[in-house]
Amino acid sequence: MVDIYLVGVGGQGIITASKLIGDAAIVAGKEVILSETHGMAQRGGSVVCTARIGDFASPLIPDGKADVILSLELLETLRAIPKCSKRTLAIASTEKMVPLSVSTQKLRYPTVEEVRARFEGVSKGLIVVDARKLAEEAGVPMSSNVVMVGALAGSGTTGLERKHFEKAVEMNIPRRLTENLVAFAKGFDAGKGAVR
Amino acid sequence: MDKILETKPGTKILLLGNEAIARGALEAGVSVATTYPGTPASEIGDSLARVARDAGIYFEYSANEMVAVEVAIGAAASGVRALVSMKHVGVNVAADALLTFAYTGTRGGFVLVTADDPSCHSSQNEQDNRYYALLGGIPMLEPANPQECYEMTKKAFEISEKLELPVILRTTTRVAHVRGPVTVGTIVQGPKKKEFVKDPKRFVTVPAVARVRHLVLLDRLRAAEQLAEESEFNVIKRIGNGGRQGIITSSAAANYAYDASRALNLQADLLKLGFSYPMPTEKMLEFLKTHDTVAVVEELEPVLETAVRSLAQHHGIAVKIIGKADGMFPRAYEFDQEIVAAGLSKAFGLPGATGTKPPEVPADLPVRPPVLCAGCPHSATYFAVNKATNKKAIFASDIGCYTLGVAPPYSAADILVCMGSSVGLAGGLAKVNDLPVIAFIGDSTFFHAGVPGLINAVHHGHKFLLMILDNRTTAMTGHQPHPGSAKDPTGATVSPVSIEEVVGGCGVKWLKVVDPYDIKTTTEAVEEALTHEGVSVIIARRECALIAPRDEKGAILKKHYIDQEDCKKCRTCVTKFQCPAISSMDKVQTIDDVLCAGCGVCAQVCPYKAIKEAK
Repeated sequence: MVDIYLVGVGGQGIITASKLIGDAAIVAGKEVILSETHGMAQRGGSVVCTARIGDFASPLIPDGKADVILSLELLETLRAIPKCSKRTLAIASTEKMVPLSVSTQKLRYPTVEEVRARFEGVSKGLIVVDARKLAEEAGVPMSSNVVMVGALAGSGTTGLERKHFEKAVEMNIPRRLTENLVAFAKGFDAGKGAVR
Repeated sequence: MDKILETKPGTKILLLGNEAIARGALEAGVSVATTYPGTPASEIGDSLARVARDAGIYFEYSANEMVAVEVAIGAAASGVRALVSMKHVGVNVAADALLTFAYTGTRGGFVLVTADDPSCHSSQNEQDNRYYALLGGIPMLEPANPQECYEMTKKAFEISEKLELPVILRTTTRVAHVRGPVTVGTIVQGPKKKEFVKDPKRFVTVPAVARVRHLVLLDRLRAAEQLAEESEFNVIKRIGNGGRQGIITSSAAANYAYDASRALNLQADLLKLGFSYPMPTEKMLEFLKTHDTVAVVEELEPVLETAVRSLAQHHGIAVKIIGKADGMFPRAYEFDQEIVAAGLSKAFGLPGATGTKPPEVPADLPVRPPVLCAGCPHSATYFAVNKATNKKAIFASDIGCYTLGVAPPYSAADILVCMGSSVGLAGGLAKVNDLPVIAFIGDSTFFHAGVPGLINAVHHGHKFLLMILDNRTTAMTGHQPHPGSAKDPTGATVSPVSIEEVVGGCGVKWLKVVDPYDIKTTTEAVEEALTHEGVSVIIARRECALIAPRDEKGAILKKHYIDQEDCKKCRTCVTKFQCPAISSMDKVQTIDDVLCAGCGVCAQVCPYKAIKEAK
């Protein structure tokens, strides 16, 4: 049983990311249940999706129970921290989307080091992935969500295999499939190579 | 091929609860499907819209929920199967038609999906629409996951035809927007044509007919209760070894109850009600008699709990019933596993959770509520209105993306209750206030419920400015077409209804159409409109930035940048204007070139002409 807690900003493709996990699980013959954020919250706000692989009836992940936190936006990683326990691996994109409150209330946007420090001691650690750069290298700058799912797959925390995820990419992202598979592969290597 | 048209029976596909409902309807041979979009119901209609042509069904995004129900009634009364879907508050709009339709009953299967929104994720209230089943005497099914969404939709059509009654399928956000595997069957083509057989003593609800039909309805509800007793959706699940502790639950709460009771290692029986109105009285009585303590686990209102307490009292059963009346479970907001585990622990006298406290979100973490998008024409409109009025006006707002104007810097919403309310509210506000009154309404919302308010205002001589924020689509719910659109969802050409003509037809004497991207003209139009005695209307027309055509650089007009040499750090672009592409960090204001939609509004906002067209 694996609990994956996804966070990001509306418009980043977080639902597609969770669908990739869901279809990968189905391809692997496992039970899975996902929950999604739709509607008003999607307009540039903080968004959450959950993916629970295994024998779960309910879709929401209790505090302290996430096995993996997958974050598509650096600051949002911190909002997911209550889902952490010492067995949680956090995987965060370094992509920054500056919220309005930073501009108007002169609040500070955290650095990678500050985010990492917050996860120290309360989790298994934080992997950061330069998802936008890897997506651009793959020729699909909008596919940082695919890169991050690649990193998740590469981290070896889901109990699913690479081929299951690749099949899910084929099923969900028919446009520019070759490039998206490259984006996935770049993410996979980043997730695999990271020191935990 | 669209996923929900999967042709191989037995295939397991990953579907959203809403998509599973659409698939279930297709397998039930639905002929007509209608809706007005609203979160968390929208994807039912959107899925059917996508496949309507291939599946050979009639689908429409109706002008509002009332019309959607009426169109579906017309079809179902003729004998075909009809599905109508809406968010919970949409049922308030449709209730007038729905409650009397329960009296006439139906011929073809009629299923109304209400998607409730506990915790108000995307809604103005969290009303519990199970009360509509009780209020109208309408049988109700409550799925808890995508597979059940699919199965219960199919079954709902059967039940509807067997009883000749409409059936409510009630979901919540955590059912509608949960995605999971669904094992599908075979799609059935419903008939395209049927002949309406006249029967005025049934279908024309004059008082003499209505009085008779009410008795018919009560009679059918007794038959419905028998179906509930036999329903495969009302099941007892054993947790551990079972025992004298019981749980009665339904919908999303059943999932939390199941996971929580396993996590707590309870020895209990769990009665899950999928066919929850009318309730299976005999089955519930048997459950109450064979358990010492029964916890009723349901989100929002104590609907099941009240019924269970009433049953126990009526039959003199000494079972201990625990629920909201004891304060063990909350009456507001959605549940989760932790809330239900805490309630069950108290109910069954278990020690509370002892685990370590999870780490907390840093207190100074910048918040990120939803905002108007880069290039959003509403953002430009609000800037112009603030400029014209210096915020010395009362703003009646309405339901749509533009409600987000409530936040600073615009503060352009002072009152809001429901779809179309801005227009009526403005009339009342204007009668008793000296400040100018401005109502904001979107194009789809205007067609939905704004027109009667406008007629009323013209007739009674209310003095206010109505701004119709016409972005050519129903943006917030996913860009569905509306009566002003020239294409229907299948791409076929339809007659667009002109907002100008409707406004003129309502008798409005002062009307201007502006492009909100032109700040000067829009500001002047607002200033002039406010001098008019009576109702004035400005249509601020500009396509939603998410669907507007873009050039090869991704700009609607031209991408812009901030020339740091000319920038005087006045911060007008972030304190009086709001655009996600513009940020101010470490005293430097910049435009993110990727996020910039190229609307050019910020260049008109900057007092020092430091925002310039990119090369």
